[in-house]
Amino acid sequence: MDVETLVNVFIIAVFPLFVASLVLYVVRLIKGPTIPDMILAVDCISYDLSLFMALLAIYFRSSFLIVGAISLALWAYALDLYAAKWMEGRELGE
Amino acid sequence: MALIAGLALVVIGVFCDLVGSIGLLRFPNFFVRLHAATVGTIGGAAYPLLGVALIALACDFLGQARWFIATGSILTSIIVILTAPAGSHALARAAHRSRLPVEPKVCDLLEEDRGGRE
Repeated sequence: MDVETLVNVFIIAVFPLFVASLVLYVVRLIKGPTIPDMILAVDCISYDLSLFMALLAIYFRSSFLIVGAISLALWAYALDLYAAKWMEGRELGE
Repeated sequence: MALIAGLALVVIGVFCDLVGSIGLLRFPNFFVRLHAATVGTIGGAAYPLLGVALIALACDFLGQARWFIATGSILTSIIVILTAPAGSHALARAAHRSRLPVEPKVCDLLEEDRGGRE
């Protein structure tokens, strides 16, 4: 088995586990009794999706998908900070 | 060798992801769930991204794209390592200061120091 087939089979084999963990995160996102729980679930989903996009970039042999991974990771951080700021002072800063 | 190390890192990452998602679903309150979420972000996203970079460097069939993918993966991994702890600390501080109800609570010394409810 050469490297290409091995990597492709590996990415396809890993895919259902990713989907399972994403579904569990989404269940927490919908159930989440408080706002910080939902923010936490959205965080985990974004970081997982950025990893998954990096794997898809290898699978589809495309270097453009990795740009989305970087911006997803940065977006999760911005969401964290703004949600924390809103929960503390009920304002987002002028 | 780099390929095997990368595949192993991704397998560890998927395992941490599953553990983190199960913990996020089963743990009783927000501050305990924060622990499971950190397992899911650092163990489940930062280290596997380093693994993806190693896999991409070992894949000759990608051509020139492998350098882009490896650089982007390492950059994303560094971003996640720097921002995920900062974000979860900010979220925990905000949740505590906004008097989030904590259900099975043993003791809260920080709230007593601030002259809290009790």
